[in-house]
Amino acid sequence: MPKSKLPAFVSTFCLCYLIWVLLTWRFTAQELIAGAFVSAAVAFTTSSFFIHESAFWLLRPQRFLALAAYFPVFLSELVKANLDVAGRCFGGCRDVNPGIVKVPVGLKSDYGQAMLANSITLTPGTITLDIAEQAGQTWYYIHWIDVKETDREKAGERIKGRLEKGIGRIWE
Amino acid sequence: MRIVVDILIAAGFFFALAGAKGVIQMPDAFCRMQASTCITTLGTLGVILGGALYAFFVMGSVGTGVKILLIGVLILTINPIGAHAIARGAYHSGVRPDREMEIDDYGRDFDE
Repeated sequence: MPKSKLPAFVSTFCLCYLIWVLLTWRFTAQELIAGAFVSAAVAFTTSSFFIHESAFWLLRPQRFLALAAYFPVFLSELVKANLDVAGRCFGGCRDVNPGIVKVPVGLKSDYGQAMLANSITLTPGTITLDIAEQAGQTWYYIHWIDVKETDREKAGERIKGRLEKGIGRIWE
Repeated sequence: MRIVVDILIAAGFFFALAGAKGVIQMPDAFCRMQASTCITTLGTLGVILGGALYAFFVMGSVGTGVKILLIGVLILTINPIGAHAIARGAYHSGVRPDREMEIDDYGRDFDE
């Protein structure tokens, strides 16, 4: 294994081992050693796909705090959007105005873009269809169940304004 | 604590019911997918949080609660990838809503 791959290997190993320990939740030597072997095998084969940027980003305290601060923001957006879509469903499903808008994204990091796209998809009412890069600017194509804005900047602000700020603080 | 657990699970059922009604009645494929995310987010998260609290405080079994929470984390990370892939695949294989969409930037950029 090349030396530059070591941090990626170690961080993937730590994640796998954490999940193993949480799933088994029995702290006997047998379980812990078997978990170490399995995690090492998984990390050896997959770390090059899994880690592209800095491997230990979570160990910086301000990033960890930003991640913790992002969670309630995301949860409040989730509850709001869920109530909205549930209301539409019980209202006979005629109250929809679907469309696909193209919105600009300010995030530079790959992880940040992926996390934002996944957050948008998880929020009911919006699904990220595709990511495109044109002239240095990243765009998302988002299917929106109730198009309120057709202008790109305003629509983007409405769909992902708070989410993008929270994620930007994590991956800056 | 039992009351909190019951409220969370009931809220989960409510959102799952709303999502199921939406999946059946929504006018086109993409709107149906939007309704289905209602089930996978607050529907399952409500039930999972309720179940985890039940395991922690009523059953007194930390291992079970941690496993349930881990299921929630996995659903939150894996589900949007599947939803995105299904929606994108549907669009690329030619699924279009019956009614004209309000705005369709995607079709304008790629159908030419």
